[in-house]
Amino acid sequence: MSELLAVSNLAVRFGGLVAVRDASFRIASGEIRGLIGPNGAGKTTVINAITGTVRASGEVLLDGRSIGGLAPHLISRCGIARTFQHVEPFDTLSVLDNILLGVGRHAPVPFAHAALATPLARSREREATREALDVLERFDLLPFRDARAADLPFGVQKRMDLARALAAKPKLLLMDEPTSGMSESEADRAIAAARELASSHRMTLLVVEHNMRVMMALADTVTVMQNGSVIAEGAPAAIQRNPVVVDAYLGEEAADAVD
Amino acid sequence: MSLTLALQLAIAGVSVGSIYALVALAIVIPFKASGVLNFGQGEIVTFGAYAALVLTQLALPYPLVVAGVIVLGAAGGIVIERLLIRPIVKAPEFTLVIATFAIGLLIKGMLSIRFGDSPNTIDGPFGSDPLVAAGLRFNPTSLWIFACTALVTIAVMLFLRTTRLGKAMRAVSVNPEAARLMGIRVESIYRWSWAISTAIGALAGLLFAPLIGINPEIGQLLLRGLLGAVIGGFTSIPGAVVGGLAVGLLETYSGVLVGSAFKNLVPFVLLMVLLVFRPQGLFGAAEVKRV
Amino acid sequence: MRGLAPLLAVGVILLALAASRLGTYPVYLMSLAMINIIAAIGLNLLTGNSGQISLCHSSFIAIGAYGSALMTARFAIPFWLSIPAGAALSALIGALLGAPASRLRGIYLAVATLGFLQIVQIVIEEFADVTGGVRGLTIPKAEFLGVRVSDYGRFLIVLGCCAFAIWTARNLLASRVGRELDAVRLSPHAAQALGVSVRRVRLGAFALAAAYAGLAGGLLAIVVGFIDPVEFGVSASLRQITFIVVGGMGSVGGAVLGAAVLSALPEVLRPVKEYSDVIYTLILLAFLILMPHGLITVWRGAMRRLRLPATGAVAEARR
Repeated sequence: MSELLAVSNLAVRFGGLVAVRDASFRIASGEIRGLIGPNGAGKTTVINAITGTVRASGEVLLDGRSIGGLAPHLISRCGIARTFQHVEPFDTLSVLDNILLGVGRHAPVPFAHAALATPLARSREREATREALDVLERFDLLPFRDARAADLPFGVQKRMDLARALAAKPKLLLMDEPTSGMSESEADRAIAAARELASSHRMTLLVVEHNMRVMMALADTVTVMQNGSVIAEGAPAAIQRNPVVVDAYLGEEAADAVD
Repeated sequence: MSLTLALQLAIAGVSVGSIYALVALAIVIPFKASGVLNFGQGEIVTFGAYAALVLTQLALPYPLVVAGVIVLGAAGGIVIERLLIRPIVKAPEFTLVIATFAIGLLIKGMLSIRFGDSPNTIDGPFGSDPLVAAGLRFNPTSLWIFACTALVTIAVMLFLRTTRLGKAMRAVSVNPEAARLMGIRVESIYRWSWAISTAIGALAGLLFAPLIGINPEIGQLLLRGLLGAVIGGFTSIPGAVVGGLAVGLLETYSGVLVGSAFKNLVPFVLLMVLLVFRPQGLFGAAEVKRV
Repeated sequence: MRGLAPLLAVGVILLALAASRLGTYPVYLMSLAMINIIAAIGLNLLTGNSGQISLCHSSFIAIGAYGSALMTARFAIPFWLSIPAGAALSALIGALLGAPASRLRGIYLAVATLGFLQIVQIVIEEFADVTGGVRGLTIPKAEFLGVRVSDYGRFLIVLGCCAFAIWTARNLLASRVGRELDAVRLSPHAAQALGVSVRRVRLGAFALAAAYAGLAGGLLAIVVGFIDPVEFGVSASLRQITFIVVGGMGSVGGAVLGAAVLSALPEVLRPVKEYSDVIYTLILLAFLILMPHGLITVWRGAMRRLRLPATGAVAEARR
């Protein structure tokens, strides 16, 4: 299997605070990689660094091509999509419009055509709508197609967030705490859907998760971070037994217990 | 340019700059406390000038006129805050910007209706015969303006640093939620910050009136005050004052160096340049929101 | 949008017929109202859709007005070329402003647009030999093939342009362009993650708004026959904003509604002209406080109650 994502010596500083120090890992194409670690480990920052939302030093290669330093929208166009920990729907838009924004980027409509509603513009819009409806169907969102995103229950919003990210058919999907806020059964269904997607669309996933159960069931390999560095990497079962990892989490639990 | 001319211009620049400094101060105080930028501040100055006119016409002695203008300014601020700002304090930024603008235009409109458009004037408290010292001519009104500005600045800084209310105001400006948890009545702080700001603005109108006359268009100086606030970094009190003085000096010198046609353009071009390249100005924190 | 074109066509024909029966003054007022609608449509795209405050919209109307008028006066370019050219010039300057301005948010953007407004006003006043300065500029009568265009003819031109503006704006909002404008306002981070260049969309919105404003300006010049720089100051910009706030921001319908309704106001207010500024600001404040989403919400509320399937599904899912 070829390497899809290669992160080397990634470092992110916010003023005096070091959020990520020297993180390196490689993800093979088609792999489901978990990224775990106690609070403040820098997991979401790593995601933000890969998507270009925060500035980072170090090297990020997607399919061998360096994407570090590119503007976020360009990085996204290279085939990276992400979901958000606190869902970021376009809240006054309909679910269909949300998905349409995920879909149409590959065949944008030239401005003049859009303004004059030319046949080209109209056919592009029809195609995009067809694709979007298809996505809605696959994610059980058709009944909500005209509902305002802000009116949706949280679990449905999360599903829409995922559907929107996948509508662009990315090579790499970064998921930031996808099951947070979900009930156990919802989380199980989400995991099943994610696995199915990954295999059927030959997609590579990098999943940040706090829920151990979800992580162990979902990931092929797990990378563990603490205080901005990678402290362990391996198969889920091995990671669970790894004393360094247990220590890192025990430390967190002990701190929580004191509070 | 001879030294005498340069110094003379500096005097003029500082006196005009003092007014801009007061306006900048009046803008920054409620912005620091509540995050609301009062785009109607220019018209508060106009209001102050007309209040001074009315009080002077009532033959009140100057100290009473000063006190009256300050009180009226503060009262006006409290009314505005209660009636018009409080209902929209949680609204999106757009609403607050436009609302404060609208309030300004409302004040200007009402002043126009009441007093008409023809210019009025009042005299400075110390006459207009220039004092001569060290070969330089000093307009006593200008000296008075500068003295008042210095006094107000010192008073504000002392107030914020030493009084309970002032410290509460600083706490609110840093973190309103934490301040509320500490028992500070945040709404009350907002009201006070507005009252102080409009009092200062009205005072600026009184001080400026002998120099430039009284007419509904005084509010145009808002932008120069804003430029002062930007130069100083929007959240810095001393910065606002320095910024205002700098704008005054800039305006006076560029009038001589650049010619009157372009003189007016200089502050606005500078404003645009600053906003794009250094919105935090000289003294502000470098965390201006950008996406 | 399917139903719109025939609806607009019918509207145009009806208005044209109605206007042919009316006297010069009502026709003139209707022209001014439609010019306001065109400008409001532009401002709405910038502020309502892409979410960028602009206090200098009237400056772009000025650029269109002076630009097209000077092209006709100095270079004998006929109005049907100079007006689009004026709009294009306005769009270009809008892009120039948008390049730095689109990087600013909130009050910084407001202050920057205010600064730009002042710059344009100063340029108008200082270059008086070109622009006529504070005394204004008289426009030569519009001519087509050597024949003077009548008042009714100018009304038809404005009517056609207004219909065109409504149609193109509606098309844009119904397409990906419109979705990107909204996305950039609602969640720039999510938009970027979906491949949308937030900078480019914001800059484009400035140019687009300026284009509509420039068109409105060019039409204003030939309808009124005189350009008065007082019309392009802060009060004018605030009036533009009042149109879209009252009508409802984010939709073409809202812009049309607000501009149409408030354009009737100067007529209603003629007996109390000095109070017009005060009344405008009171209306604006009232809407900002009480009905910030504008009159169009009354219409929308009714429409939403009709969308039963989706609301039903939402209710189901919540159980």
